[in-house]
Amino acid sequence: MIQLTNLNKQFGDKVAVKNMNMALEPGKVMGLIGQNGAGKTTTFRMILNFIAPTSGDITWNGHPITQTDKQKIGFLPEERGLYQKLTIEEQILYFSELHGMTRSDTKIALADWLKRLDVVGKATDKVQSLSKGNAQKVQMIAALIFNPEFIILDEPFSGLDPVNTSIMMNEIVRLRDNGAMIIFSSHDMNNVTKISDNLTMLKQGEIVLQGGVQEIREQFGRTKVYVEGPFSKAELANIAGVTQINQQGAGFDITISDEATGHQIFDFVTRNGYIPAFSQQPPTLDDIFRQEVALS
Amino acid sequence: MNKGLTIVIKQTFRSHFKTRGYWLLVLSPIIFAVVIGGIIFGVTQMQGNTTPTVAVIGNSQVRQVFIRDEKTLDIKVSKITDSQKANRSLAAQDLDGILTLQDDNATLTTQPKSNTINKEAFVSVLGNISRSQKATNYGLTAAQTQDLIQPFNLKSVVKQPDNKSTNGENSDMANYGIAVAIGIITTMIVMWYASMIATEIANEKSSRIMETLLAATSASIQYFGKMIGIFALAVTHLLIYIIAGAIGYVILQNNPMLDGIKQTFSGVTIGFSIYAVAFILISVALYLILTAMIASLINDNAQVQQAIQPITFLAMIGYMFSFIMTNMPNNLAIKILSYVPFISQSMMPVRLVTKVETWPAAILSLIISFVAMIVLAWFGKNIYAKNVLSYSDDKIMSQLIKNIKNRN
Repeated sequence: MIQLTNLNKQFGDKVAVKNMNMALEPGKVMGLIGQNGAGKTTTFRMILNFIAPTSGDITWNGHPITQTDKQKIGFLPEERGLYQKLTIEEQILYFSELHGMTRSDTKIALADWLKRLDVVGKATDKVQSLSKGNAQKVQMIAALIFNPEFIILDEPFSGLDPVNTSIMMNEIVRLRDNGAMIIFSSHDMNNVTKISDNLTMLKQGEIVLQGGVQEIREQFGRTKVYVEGPFSKAELANIAGVTQINQQGAGFDITISDEATGHQIFDFVTRNGYIPAFSQQPPTLDDIFRQEVALS
Repeated sequence: MNKGLTIVIKQTFRSHFKTRGYWLLVLSPIIFAVVIGGIIFGVTQMQGNTTPTVAVIGNSQVRQVFIRDEKTLDIKVSKITDSQKANRSLAAQDLDGILTLQDDNATLTTQPKSNTINKEAFVSVLGNISRSQKATNYGLTAAQTQDLIQPFNLKSVVKQPDNKSTNGENSDMANYGIAVAIGIITTMIVMWYASMIATEIANEKSSRIMETLLAATSASIQYFGKMIGIFALAVTHLLIYIIAGAIGYVILQNNPMLDGIKQTFSGVTIGFSIYAVAFILISVALYLILTAMIASLINDNAQVQQAIQPITFLAMIGYMFSFIMTNMPNNLAIKILSYVPFISQSMMPVRLVTKVETWPAAILSLIISFVAMIVLAWFGKNIYAKNVLSYSDDKIMSQLIKNIKNRN
C-alpha cells in the first residue's frame, strides 16, 4: 500500500501541496482531479522522488520508496517524450531493461502489447514515423510493459480520440484487475467516474473531497432530475424547491434544492400515468467539480 | 557495477555507435589523411624522378668523390665528362647541371627546368676537398688533416635551477610537433564529444524523456551512465585510430618518410606515451563532466551551442598556451598553468618530454587533474540532479552561478 501522510510542498512562498493524506491500495484506482496548478503533478513528482517534500512522508508498505521499489513503478508523464530516432523496439527495450525486465521477455510482451493497443506500425518502425496517437500508445506501453505494481498516469487520455481513450481505459482496468495500485490525473470527469474506485479532489494544493466516487456523489444528495413527458418548462418551474430547469433534448434537466422535491416532481409528471423518462441522480462529478473547485 | 548504470552506459554507447554520424566522425580524418596522402603520392609519381643529374667536369678526383657521395648530395653524377657534350645535354634538358672545376673555383651551370640542386652541400664537399688538398701541400699528416676539417661541435644544454643540466633528445621540431599533436587531439575530442553529451542531455530534457528515465533510475545513474558511455565512445574512437596507425605502420614499414618521423620522435618513450594518453583521457573526462553539468541547465536543443561554447574556448586556451610554451618554457605563468586542470594536459606532457620538468612534477600535475575530475564529478552530480527536471528562463551561466551559491 502507498501511504501519503501530512505531505506538504512549498516553492518559496507558494504552497503547492498542503497537508495531503492519501492511501492507495492494490487493485484500486485513485482518480486525482483539480484545476491546473492544483498540485497533481507536484504530488506525482514527490512520490517519484523527483522533488523532496517540504514535510510529510511517502511510504510503500510502511517504508520509504527505495530505488528497488522505483523499478516497480510505471509512470506516464504529462508531457510525453520518446527518442524520435530510435525504433519502437529499441525504445521499449531500454525502458523495460531499466525496470528490470529482460530483453527476451520484453520482445515477446511487446508484440502482444502492440496488437492489444492496436498500434499502427511495426516494432522496427522509428518513433518519428508514428502518428501522435500511436506515439502516445508506445509511451503507454513503455510505462506498463513490465507489469508494474504501482502505476502513476499523469493525464493519460489527453490528446486521444474516443476510440483510443476507450482502449487505454480497458488497459487501466485490466492492470487494476491484476492487482496494481493505480493513481491517475484527468480533467475529463466522465473518464474519472468510469474507472476510479476512489477520488481525490484538489484545490490550490489542498484536498477538498476524498473518498469513493459514488460515496462522494451521494454526499451531495440526489438533487438532479431528468424528465421527459407532456408538460411545459413553466409548469415544472412552479413546483416548490425547483431551482433551475434546462431543456435537454426531448426532456428537462432540473436542479432541486432537496431530495424530497423529487417526489413532488414525480407525482406531478405522472399524474396522468406513463411518462417515457424519470431519473433522480446525485450531481455528476463535473457538477461537483464546478461547484467545489472551479466556481468557488 | 550497478545494473542500472550498466544499462545506461550500454544504451548511450550503442545508440551513438550505430549512427552514421559517429562513423563519419571517426572515419573522416582517416579518409582525409588517405586522400591527402594519395594526392601527394600522385603528384610525386607524376613528377617522376626528381633527383638532379649533374655532370662533373674538369677534375676526375673530385668527380670520384661526388660519385661516392651521390646519396648525401642527393644527385646522380652523369657519365659525361666532356664539356661540349655536357653543354649539349644541358641545352637538350637531359642534364640538370654542369659542375665545372678550375683550380680553386667551380661553376655550377643549370637550365630553367632543372630539378633543385643542394648548393650548400656542394660547397661543403668542395670546401673539404680543397682544405684536404691544401693540407697535403703544407705537409700535414692524414690525421692532422682530418682534425683540421672537423666541424666545430656546439652542444646545446639547458641549465635547470636545481643545477641539473638536461637536454631533450628530441629536436625542436619534434617537441613542437608533440605539443601541437596533444593540443589538437584534446581540443578535437573535447569539441566532438562535449557536443555529443550536451545534445544527448538537452534532447532528453527538452523532450521530457528524462522524466520517464528518472522514474526508473536515479539522476546520478543517468549522469554517470551517460558520461561513461560517451567517454567509452571517445576511447573507442582513439583505439580505432591506434589500430589504423598500427596497420599503416606495418604497410609503410620501409617508407623513408616514416623512417624520418621515427628518427624525429626518437626521444618519445613508451612511458611518456602512456603518460600523455592518460593525461589526454583524464582531461577529456574532465571536460565531459563539465559539459554534462552545464547541459543539465539547458532547456532545449537550441541552447546546446551556447552552452558548449565556453567549454571549447577553455580547451582552446590550453592549445594556445602550448604554442607559447615551446618558446618560453621557464615563464612563471606557463609553469603554474602546467598544474592547472583543463589546461595542464597541453603543457605538462611537452614540458616532460623536453625535460623542462621531471617525472615527479609531471605525475603531480596528472594527480591534480585526476583529483579535480573526482571533485567535479561529485559536484556535477548534485547540479545535474537539481536541474535536470527544472526549466528556467534564466541564462545558463547565471543559473550555474546560482547553483554554485546555493549548493543545498
